[in-house]
Amino acid sequence: MTITDQATVTQVEEVVAARSDSAFLSGTQPHADTLHFKIEKRAMRAVVEGLVNELQARFLISVGTDTRSVTGQFAILHLFSLDREHLYVLLESPVSEEDQRIESITDIIPGANWAEREFRDAIGVHPDGHPDPRRLLLADDWPEGVYPLRRDFPYNFQPPPADNVRPQMREPPAGASVVPLGPFFPVLEEPSYWRMFVEGETIVGCDTRLFYNHRGIEKLGESVLTYGQIPYLAERICGICGFIHSSCYCQAVEKAAGIEAPRRARYIRTILLELERIHSHLLWLGIAGHIIGFETVLMQTWRIREPVMWLCEEISGNRKTYGMNTVGGLSRDLHNELKPKLLETIAQVEKEAIAVRNAVIGDSTLHARTKGVGVLTNDWAKKICAVGPPARASGVAIDARIDHPYAAYDELPPQIATEEAGDVWARVVVRISELVDSIRLVREGLAALPEGPICAEIKEAIPPGRVGVSVVEAPRGESVHFVLTGGDNRPYRWRVRAPSYPNLQALPAMVQQANIADVPITLGSLDPCFSCTERLETVDRRTHEVRVYSHAELLEMSRRHRRT
Amino acid sequence: MTVWLIKSFLLCLLNVAAALLLSPLCEGIMRKIRAALHSRIGPPITQPYWDILKLLGKEDLRSTGGVVYAGLPALTLGSVLVLAALVPMGTAAPLAFAGDLIVVLYVAAMSGVAIMLTGFASASPYASIGSSREMMMLLSVEPILAIALVVGAFKARTLALGGIANWQIQNGPSISMLIGGVAFFLALQAVAGKLPFDISEADQEIMGGPLIEQSGPRLALFRWAMWAKQLVFAFLLVEVFFPWPHFGNYLIDLLATIVKVLVVLVLVTVIDVVNPRLRIDQAMGYFMRVGVSSLAALAFAVIGK
Repeated sequence: MTITDQATVTQVEEVVAARSDSAFLSGTQPHADTLHFKIEKRAMRAVVEGLVNELQARFLISVGTDTRSVTGQFAILHLFSLDREHLYVLLESPVSEEDQRIESITDIIPGANWAEREFRDAIGVHPDGHPDPRRLLLADDWPEGVYPLRRDFPYNFQPPPADNVRPQMREPPAGASVVPLGPFFPVLEEPSYWRMFVEGETIVGCDTRLFYNHRGIEKLGESVLTYGQIPYLAERICGICGFIHSSCYCQAVEKAAGIEAPRRARYIRTILLELERIHSHLLWLGIAGHIIGFETVLMQTWRIREPVMWLCEEISGNRKTYGMNTVGGLSRDLHNELKPKLLETIAQVEKEAIAVRNAVIGDSTLHARTKGVGVLTNDWAKKICAVGPPARASGVAIDARIDHPYAAYDELPPQIATEEAGDVWARVVVRISELVDSIRLVREGLAALPEGPICAEIKEAIPPGRVGVSVVEAPRGESVHFVLTGGDNRPYRWRVRAPSYPNLQALPAMVQQANIADVPITLGSLDPCFSCTERLETVDRRTHEVRVYSHAELLEMSRRHRRT
Repeated sequence: MTVWLIKSFLLCLLNVAAALLLSPLCEGIMRKIRAALHSRIGPPITQPYWDILKLLGKEDLRSTGGVVYAGLPALTLGSVLVLAALVPMGTAAPLAFAGDLIVVLYVAAMSGVAIMLTGFASASPYASIGSSREMMMLLSVEPILAIALVVGAFKARTLALGGIANWQIQNGPSISMLIGGVAFFLALQAVAGKLPFDISEADQEIMGGPLIEQSGPRLALFRWAMWAKQLVFAFLLVEVFFPWPHFGNYLIDLLATIVKVLVVLVLVTVIDVVNPRLRIDQAMGYFMRVGVSSLAALAFAVIGK
């Protein structure tokens, strides 16, 4: 599907070879658009510098793998994308058990900050020279020296509970006071804890603690589930863009195993992916309105969004979490009798979406609240590796649907929408343009929907040791899934990177010197992903007795529940 | 003398009762209109009454002690009710003998100051941000109210609200009073705490601002005070700046006044629905411009227009 230029491949090979010199171990091309180099860790920084400076490679994610059972060593892998050249570059270094360290690349690529902290937390390989040594992924009461993604760590292990632990937070600069946002806050639909350092109403810095909802999904995929079960788990990573994650996972496994999904399946995936973008962008527009007190926008966009949810229900049986994806294609067809109804609904949604677009674009008070607010500069967007609408609104023209075509996007090319200003308004404009374009893609996809099978026949078991990288352009930006195949009919390593992961790292720079009133909309304009919270109060329906649980009781209950 | 006192007292009670009992109904109507513009069904018109009842029946939780903090909700509602007695609401202002528009301006500012103090007294960073915003809003809006009313005083050569209203009825519309009325209306949006000026409460930014720590009966009194305040101010606007058409028949005039008050509240709601919230600096800039424009009203009044 992708067009990879042999000259580019040679050029990348030359850069890696020249920069690594005697540290070069091996270079393979596991898939037409994927180059996989193994180098010794002493050359990692030099090669990364070469890729970034000479080839404008964009950092995607780091993957730490415990390959001790295969090679006797850990493996740290940095994943890059050459967007214009439609190429992924994987740089892998073995890290021995005796010296569990690798040089940090965060000073070269600021966007690698969290990725390196994550493999430190999960695998125990320490990034030397990292500017922020604090925990990222693990809970504050997690014991030191226990690394959950090591193969010898059982998925159901429970560390002993610890009390009176607090996140390690930075102190505010002298003269500044702290305004906390979260972990629970009206406009944060997921728990995340931001501490704004303010002087008056002006922000002079901020600190954050996230990963309150870490669910150990990668570990489950690597230790309990099978290839065929993981799509259902992947779909539950996100409540909005679930189909994106299941598609991305399936494509990564298909690539690793050399399976090609049939054309009809790829078209239906495209239609569902675009429907997801439509309802996600409408939802976001409503939330953005709500954040700045514009409830009318919320009410109207969610009213328009509802028919899209019904469409999804008609197609899959569910409003969300369709459960249709499987490795090799789909498990459920889109029935042709549905087409006229789908086209009719889509036409109505288009009419109303354009009405909303015109109303929003012309609203001068909205301009006052969003123009020049939360600016993400083009330079920093590239350095922090921002993705999706925030990147495109800052003039970084990347879109996985064009840069790494998957599903049927090679036959149904989307129109990329970019803006230069990098402020909240630019992100609004980009999302609204994408919304209208997605409606067109659904319409064209339905019209051109080919006949044929919906799932490829998989005759033999997926061989171990293969690598698959897949990227899907979610409404919030690209999702990245990396799969290293293993025995036992399950991946040896499955790495997921959601688009909010790099985008949230861009927030501190965006709120610097901002007014406290602009923080919620700036954060909201990144469209961070949502998840659910727990209940705190129970009512016995027979006796109407109300019982409020204390923090300690809830902690004890959840621990008891997990043990049983 | 005694008869006069009792009569005044009863009339005061009438105004106070109207402000207390009708303001939740007006709020209910405003919510219904808001819902209609949102494509929602919305709560029943009587919902605000149930809200008040429910909140009054809840436990009184206080984040801090102190007599001042304890008394602030009552002070807020009380100041609004005194204002109701000082303002003509379909009849002559029953407490007019006790004070002219200078007193009205002071009493009108009292509820805002009390809410601000509540925020500063409750130990929450959101409340103190909200209170400082409330203070800035008060400082931006009060001068506009003062200028608009002083235009009337200047025209009618009296500081009594009733006198200004009578002068208006007798002399008909004038450019200066129209400009003053419009400025007063724009300020009303902020006085009522409606969008785009609900900056000091800003649920999504500072979670209710000065009132974040308030719950149960205390919150009920604050809410009630806000609703009563928007109703009293709507009456003030209509009676002083737009008293026409005047029929001379008391009942018809009362009906006309009520219809005009409802029109004002509907307009306030529509503005609330079609606007996002402004930032405090933007709102202050806006009211600065409104204030300067309202000075034009004063200039027109000086040249007799």
